[in-house]
Formats: sequence, structure tokens, C-alpha cells
Amino acid sequence: MAVSTVYTIQSLNSTYSISSPKSHIGFTQKHILLYTTPKKNYTKKTTQISCSTEKPVIIGLAADSGCGKSTFMRRLTSVFGGAAEPPKGGNPDSNTLISDTTTVICLDDYHSLDRTGRKEKGVTALDPKANDFDLMYEQVKAIKDGIAVEKPIYNHVSGLLDPPELIKPPKIFVIEGLHPMYDARVRDLLDFSIYLDISNEVKFAWKIQRDMAERGHSLESIKASIEARKPDFDAYIDPQKQYADAVIEVLPTQLIPDDNEGKVLRVRLIMKEGVKNFNPVYLFDEGSTISWIPCGRKLTCSYPGIKLSYGPDTYFGHEVSVLEMDGQFDRLDELIYVESHLSNISTKFYGEVTQQMLKHADFPGSNNGTGLFQTIIGLKIRDLYEQIIASRAAAPLEATKA
Amino acid sequence: MASSSSILNLNPYSSLLFNKTTVKKTIKFPSSFSLSSRKRVIFVVRAEMKKIYKGTHMREQQLTEMIEQKVSEAEQVCGEDEVSDECKVAWDEVEEVSQAKADLRLKLHQLHQDPLESFCQDNPETDECHIYED
Repeated sequence: MAVSTVYTIQSLNSTYSISSPKSHIGFTQKHILLYTTPKKNYTKKTTQISCSTEKPVIIGLAADSGCGKSTFMRRLTSVFGGAAEPPKGGNPDSNTLISDTTTVICLDDYHSLDRTGRKEKGVTALDPKANDFDLMYEQVKAIKDGIAVEKPIYNHVSGLLDPPELIKPPKIFVIEGLHPMYDARVRDLLDFSIYLDISNEVKFAWKIQRDMAERGHSLESIKASIEARKPDFDAYIDPQKQYADAVIEVLPTQLIPDDNEGKVLRVRLIMKEGVKNFNPVYLFDEGSTISWIPCGRKLTCSYPGIKLSYGPDTYFGHEVSVLEMDGQFDRLDELIYVESHLSNISTKFYGEVTQQMLKHADFPGSNNGTGLFQTIIGLKIRDLYEQIIASRAAAPLEATKA
Repeated sequence: MASSSSILNLNPYSSLLFNKTTVKKTIKFPSSFSLSSRKRVIFVVRAEMKKIYKGTHMREQQLTEMIEQKVSEAEQVCGEDEVSDECKVAWDEVEEVSQAKADLRLKLHQLHQDPLESFCQDNPETDECHIYED
């Protein structure tokens, strides 16, 4: 996919030479054209047009299955605009989502063993032995270099590996699954990584809501399923959270004593400090410790209300900032009130977070911290993307000035 | 039902319980905060049971049966040895098909994206693409 971006540079008296970087292997080609147009005020205006195939920004998202990844993906793609849809005319069981700017692939597609194979070997899908990390690395690297790949499809219905589908490099490439940060080589390719950390109580409550309507399931079967997965999950998936740039931790609320329904949630957004192109969100004063209950004279909330806090911390040896929200939004004005007091949320206009939340009010988590922080992370990723693109554009400019 | 200035408070997946209703909500930004202009947001929740393709309905049925079958398999295998690899794998399969069913439900009932949509537009004559009416 060739994209041409046009940069306009005001120049006075200086001359610029035309340079065209040599393309290598014929995959990425940059053409720089310079021309001048006479202007009334006698300043020479040169316009630089550069065309290149997309070199995407790569985002990794890790979570256990059934933990809101697809909701997250849809919020994320919505921030960039356009609805995410499965590829048209392809395998109906494809796990891929494509929008104008974003492509999301499911890392289950890199299973080296299909359902029968895993049964024979006695490994779960969580086990690294069931996944082809070499292929994952190869293909993510190719996409990052702007080269399209034929990616296998793992069919969750049949449990088989289907014929591959063509994936073209988009602007933003998201890899979601159980092991985006497991392999060190793949980890290094990521421009930003997120881990969705759901506590056991909340996981249990969500899986009950997901499965109780099913004929085959009972409370015991759901419980047994979670218990059986725990050893592999703790061994292979959980350790990835130390590598994530942002962790969204979902815990039961502290506002309601002995709450076990899991409807009101306490959500923590743990943001690593010092990540390139990423400035953590903060409340009032960066680096301070803040505890804030917005409900009071200006804002009336219904039970159990909302409680926010922010502060610096350490997480697996890294400096982090933690923004936490406990409770839920009942009304629109609560949401906009909270949004207006957060800083560094990378919105383009006042109320953008609220607007995004409203757009998907039927998604799970739209009334609590999960939706709020997922939306904010979406905006931060957009900001990160724009910063990366801007710095790439600045680089050739610097070269021509020299 | 929620008042005109509230976000519909839905549990995860509880919208699946809605059947054949279309709800239209008008949400006004209250004047208690300053926006340069008051915006009126029309908020439509569509919770209708849409007509689906036969192939998709068959897939739904297949997944439902698989869940039942795999749960009983897992209970049987784990009854023999709870900490065996076979037990882990059996419950992992249950999780996989449960999630696949949930994803399909999400696509159909919330996102209104039938997986067979584009295939059936190109091949309307195939058996899978006959409309299944609920």
C-alpha cells in the first residue's frame, strides 16, 4: 500500500538538493520530489513529496482468552476511526480484524499444533510448545519492514490450521494473544505493549456471565476450567506483564464490602516511566500521590460512587505511575467531570474520551475503569503513532538540511 | 429503564437477553459544565434478533454441541486424574470452544457482523447462504 505524504517547507534563499534514497530489495521505495512555486511574498516555497510503503507501528496486547481483548480491540480501532471488520471475501473463521488504519491479528494463528496435535502431545494452547515463535517473529518483522505476508489461520471452530491469508502492512499493526511478549525477538519489535491483568475473582465472574447461558456449562465446570488452566497460565502468560509498557489490572471493588458479584470494578492503569513517545496519564500533579473522590458538592453520584487515585510506584523493578479508578459511572456528567480533571490523555478535543465511551456504550466496561482506561490507552497509542510518524518525517528533512 | 441522561448500565453480555426491541435514547450533555455548544447525542441501541445465514446458524449449533460434549469429556478425564496433562488439555479445549461461541454471539448480536456476510454476497446460491429465520 503506497502512501504519499506531502510536507511543505518554507525556505528563504537556501537551495535544497534532490535526493532519492536507494531502494533495497525493491520493497520500500522513497521518491522525493522538490519543486518551487513563486509566491507573492517572494519566499521560496518548496514542497517535499515522499511516497513510501507503510512501515507500521507495532502494538502488542496480551491477555487470557475471554478477558475483553476483542472489546479492547474494537475500542482501539474506533479511536483511529473506522469500524474493524474481518477481511472481506476470505475465510469466515478468520480471527483478523481490518479497518482503514489498523490491522489486528490473533496470535493463535501461530499455533504449531492444532487441537488434535495438542491433545496428542498433552499441551494446552498456553504452552509455548504449541506455538511457532520463529514464524511469528519472521512475519511480524516482515510487516514491520513494510512487506506483506501470508499468515496462517487457526480455526477456533474446527480446531484446525486453515490455508493462509494475505496480510498487508497497515499503519498500525496490533498483535493480540497469549504470547505477544513471550519471545524476546518479537518483544523487541513492539513499539508499545499492553497486558490485561484480570484478577481471579473478576475472571471467574466474567466467565460465569459468558458461559452460564450455555447448556453444557455449570458453575462447577466453569470453576474447574479456570483452575485447570492456572498452572500453565501462571508459568507462561503471567510473567509477560513485567515487560509491558502499560498494564491494565482489573480487581474487585474496595468500595462495597464483601462484594462478590464482580459488577463494580477497581481498575488500575500501570504505566511504565521512560517509554519512548509515551507520557503517562496523571491526576493534577505529575509525580505526586493523589487520592480523589469527585462526588460531592459539584457532582452527585449514586452508590457506590467513584474513587480515583494516582501516584508513583515500582512494578517488577521499573518506575511506574499508577492511575486507579474504583466504582462506576452512572451518568454522563460523571464521566465528563472525571475526564476534564485527567492530564496527558492525548485527546484532540475536550470530551473526546467521553465521546468514545458513548460510541460504544453497549460494550462491556463502558461504565467503569476498564472502558475508560482502554479508551485512554487507545488515545495514547494514537499519540505514539503520530509522534513516531513525525519523527520519521523529520529524519529525512534533517538529512537534506545537512 | 435509564433516564435520558444516563449511559445504559449493562452487565457484560446481558444485552444478549434483549429480544426484538429497539430502544432509542436521546442524551443531552447537562448544562452543569461548560462546552462551547450543547451537543445532542442520539444514542440508538439495537437489540433485535437479526436474520442470520443458515451456515452461521449451523456453526452456532455445532459450537453449542461441542461445548456440551467437551465439558462431559473433561469431567470424565479429570475424574480419573485431576492433575494429569490430559485433564489440563481437556479443560483448555472447553475454554477454546466456549470463547469461540462467545465471540460468535458478540459478532452476531452486538456487532451485527455475520461471518458469512461477504462470502454469501458473492455466493448467494449455496446452501449455507440461505436465510435462517428465528
